[in-house]
Amino acid sequence: MAVSSDTSQKYDLGFARWVYQNVKGGDKLSMCMQCGACSGSCPIGTEMDHGPRKLIMMVRAGMKEAVFQSNTLWNCTSCYRCTVRCPRGIPVTHVVQGLAAKAVALGYASEVDTARFAHSFWWSVTHFGRTDERLVTAKYYFSFGFIAGIKKSLDNLKIALGMVMKGRMHVGLPHKVSDNKGLRAILEKATEIEMRDKQGGAES
Amino acid sequence: MNQGPASQTILVVGGGIAGITAAVEAAETGYEVILLEQSPALGGRVSAFSRYFPKLCHPTCGLEINYQRIRKNPRIKVITMAKVESLSGQAGDYTVLVKTKPRYVNEKCTACGDCAKATDVRVSNSFNYGMDKVSAAYLPHEHAYPQKFVIAPEVIDTPDADNIKAACKYGAVDLDDTESVFELKIGAVIWATGWKPYDATKITPYSYGASPDIINNLEMERLAAHDGPTGGKILRPSNGEPAKRVALIQCAGSRDTNHLPYCSRICCLGSMKHAVYVREQYTDAVVDIYYIDIRAHDRLEAFYRRVSADPQVNFIKSKPGHVEIEEDGTPVVCGEDTISREVYARSYDLVVLALGMEPSALTDTDAPHMGSRDDYGFIVPLPGDEPGLSSAGVAGGPLDVSMSVQSATAAALSAIQAVRKATAQSGALE
Ligand SMILES: Cc1cc2nc3c(=O)[nH]c(=O)nc-3n(C[C@H](O)[C@H](O)[C@H](O)COP(=O)(O)OP(=O)(O)OC[C@H]3O[C@@H](n4cnc5c(N)ncnc54)[C@H](O)[C@@H]3O)c2cc1C
Repeated sequence: MAVSSDTSQKYDLGFARWVYQNVKGGDKLSMCMQCGACSGSCPIGTEMDHGPRKLIMMVRAGMKEAVFQSNTLWNCTSCYRCTVRCPRGIPVTHVVQGLAAKAVALGYASEVDTARFAHSFWWSVTHFGRTDERLVTAKYYFSFGFIAGIKKSLDNLKIALGMVMKGRMHVGLPHKVSDNKGLRAILEKATEIEMRDKQGGAES
Repeated sequence: MNQGPASQTILVVGGGIAGITAAVEAAETGYEVILLEQSPALGGRVSAFSRYFPKLCHPTCGLEINYQRIRKNPRIKVITMAKVESLSGQAGDYTVLVKTKPRYVNEKCTACGDCAKATDVRVSNSFNYGMDKVSAAYLPHEHAYPQKFVIAPEVIDTPDADNIKAACKYGAVDLDDTESVFELKIGAVIWATGWKPYDATKITPYSYGASPDIINNLEMERLAAHDGPTGGKILRPSNGEPAKRVALIQCAGSRDTNHLPYCSRICCLGSMKHAVYVREQYTDAVVDIYYIDIRAHDRLEAFYRRVSADPQVNFIKSKPGHVEIEEDGTPVVCGEDTISREVYARSYDLVVLALGMEPSALTDTDAPHMGSRDDYGFIVPLPGDEPGLSSAGVAGGPLDVSMSVQSATAAALSAIQAVRKATAQSGALE
């Protein structure tokens, strides 16, 4: 279990250094002593394929592909428990989320389930300033393709109806924040700043 | 500079194993020694252990022989319930102000115990870390040196104090005893003030204080000791049932930039000793030791081998994230096994936090000048720029008993060198 017998695993020996230099908090990864306090503190640690401790080891081992395909990047809820408890002062949350941002930039995210979901979620928030359960799920389901989208929707129809009956799922037009235009303007400005920072060489 | 002949007297502050050793070594070499101890008895932390590694001897083993050496040596003067108020001067010529607290019992005490029976007032037993109570007229513990009772300040000026006094056949109770302050002329000082455990309540995820079944490693020593609160039975503090599923959590507040950044070096061995205590008492007990790395230095590796050969002692490479408390009060240790990657949540009868050692002088707000400190507050053992001040034992850094004893011998030698040098210089000036 501890040692992978998968010899097809690809190692990129420059990956750790790249992470040190390009991911926020990555320069602290050399401090990690693999104690497990981060993964053991994670409220959804059981839902992660690797968890932060192993992810850090994988970065150091140069397992670039496996790191970027890991669901650990996407299941993080930003509770910051790992960061607060890390005995070596590693900003674990920043590292995990920094890697997620890189995974998007490098085109890995479309292959990861949770990343697709995050994308749909973001779409709803940017359009309405709110999450609309129906549209978020629909967008997520159909990101797998038309047929798969129909199938997934039908599979979950019972749950959806149950939610509607209990008043947990809204019917009718999507709710919007009152100043949707203002929200758009804020987001556009944020994107502009982000692009400017990137061009200026400052890293996220 | 120096006026008159330099003092050759060596002051040892702290009467734990290190202070005792430094005192007897210096005295047996021919120097006058004053040994100050803040509590009513010598022995320090070692006297409160059930047994000590690596041989698992009882604390009396190492201590009793040293008490003999003190008793036989007229050059050593022991002053208990005493602390240093202030210190000034230089090697060969220190002026030290000492303050003592009243014991209310004089040297006529034979430790017969009649006074203890004369009162019903019970006070918290500090020797057992407050886990039980003792009579307000008490012997600090059964192998206390000196074997003299103490009367708790709580009963002074109450009728119980008069009853206690009346019960003593030897005229040993002195209710007029008071605090006193006096001055000493000293040639060199050895700080052997030892350590205190890191404050477990600061490690909030480990829930110390939230359940009586989460204890620290010092309380574990008392639970296993025959003169402890349970008479030596390792029982759950919550319900008095045998503790048969026990978790020992290493590095509780150690090697942690949020707490003590350093390794205390002895806690791994301390916990392995605790595993032995549990396994000796219950054949069906299971002990899980959660660790980052097992640090059994030098020959102590043999002890590690011995303990790890027991199939009912599991070494789990994991620093737990937190300890949760179930509704019925059961502690649950949660974390990730870093070898198997299992994310676990396991319930235990008893959880013991292996706390590290902090220099006891660290937060002592009225501590006198003690010489140079390192980054963590330990007193640098042999400072070059202040030759009259040195440290011995854990006052100088985390050490086990045998290393403390070695450092005490070194400190005695450095104190002797300091007073001799000062004497030679003052002679040259005269
Ligand atoms: C849980 C645990 C288990 C351990 N088990 C073992 C073991 O099995 N074997 C082993 O080798 N080591 C063990 N150790 C380590 C051992 O406790 C130390 O090595 C030992 O206590 C060092 O002795 P010391 O004299 O330096 O300090 P201490 O034992 O702390 O003695 C210091 C003395 O100085 C006194 N004092 C403090 N400040 C002042 C002051 N200002 N004025 C006057 N007096 C003062 C104190 O009252 C005390 O009596 C263990 C440690 C822990 C935490």
